[in-house]
Amino acid sequence: MKKYTVIVMPRKDILDPEGKAIRRVARDYLGFDVGEIRVGKYFEIESNASRDVIEKLARNILSNEVVEDYRVIES
Amino acid sequence: MRVAIIRFPGTNCDYDCAFACRSCNVEYGFVWHKETTLDGYDCAILPGGFSYGDYLRSGALASFSPIMQAVREFAKRGGYVVGICNGFQMLTELGLLPGVLLKNRNLRFIHKRVWLKFESSVCRFSENMAGRLVRLSIAHAQGCYYCTQNELKRLEDDGCVVLRYASPQGEVTDEHNPNGSVSNIAGICNREGNIFGLMPHPERSVGDLGNDGTWLFSVLAS
Repeated sequence: MKKYTVIVMPRKDILDPEGKAIRRVARDYLGFDVGEIRVGKYFEIESNASRDVIEKLARNILSNEVVEDYRVIES
Repeated sequence: MRVAIIRFPGTNCDYDCAFACRSCNVEYGFVWHKETTLDGYDCAILPGGFSYGDYLRSGALASFSPIMQAVREFAKRGGYVVGICNGFQMLTELGLLPGVLLKNRNLRFIHKRVWLKFESSVCRFSENMAGRLVRLSIAHAQGCYYCTQNELKRLEDDGCVVLRYASPQGEVTDEHNPNGSVSNIAGICNREGNIFGLMPHPERSVGDLGNDGTWLFSVLAS
């Protein structure tokens, strides 16, 4: 069984209010002024499928190409 | 017209749509998402709710339901399709309408009545409505319409922008944009005008509940 990780992130030019809110709370209430934070999704997949199939899964279901990019990592 | 009200696990505005249909003498039937045909229907409504618990992205998982292949073919043949709220999110996920609905810019679920202005559009559900104002409920967490600037220009050039959030006087300003939608967009249609998606809920302002949503169901009654 292979292990894949798929990371889906909002594109850089898309407003990410969730990331902005986390950054603001971390800075204003906890004192962590760490710069830009962006929030994405992380999927762990255990499968015998080929990387090609996982790429298709990531493209067609796990992400929306209008606003998100994805990355497939095989480990 | 005979209207199919399509239900998914998590749909919760199906009975509201049925109520609105009954109030406006529109014939309707419920269609479960596992069905594969829309034979006998002239219009399909994708109602609001939280299909599949809004998992992954709102409307994303529902867009793979068996009935959606039928919706796609039905729309291609010129059948009327309306997506309200979660249904609008499904239509963008399906690729039947451009763009995407993102989280509201204030990250909150917003439930309130808003004013909307009809634009001059090719939408078959809003003929002769240009310039008119209606007040409808919105109830969503992911209603911030987004598309690229090129897509926005195409939507505007082709008369596909149907509804914009506005002031009670009809001014389209950021102050009256509840969720951060591009260009205050609340509803769009395809080039042919037979596929219509909107975030506000016309079915909640029909019959005893008001009159501002009647225009939609009156079209379906014809």
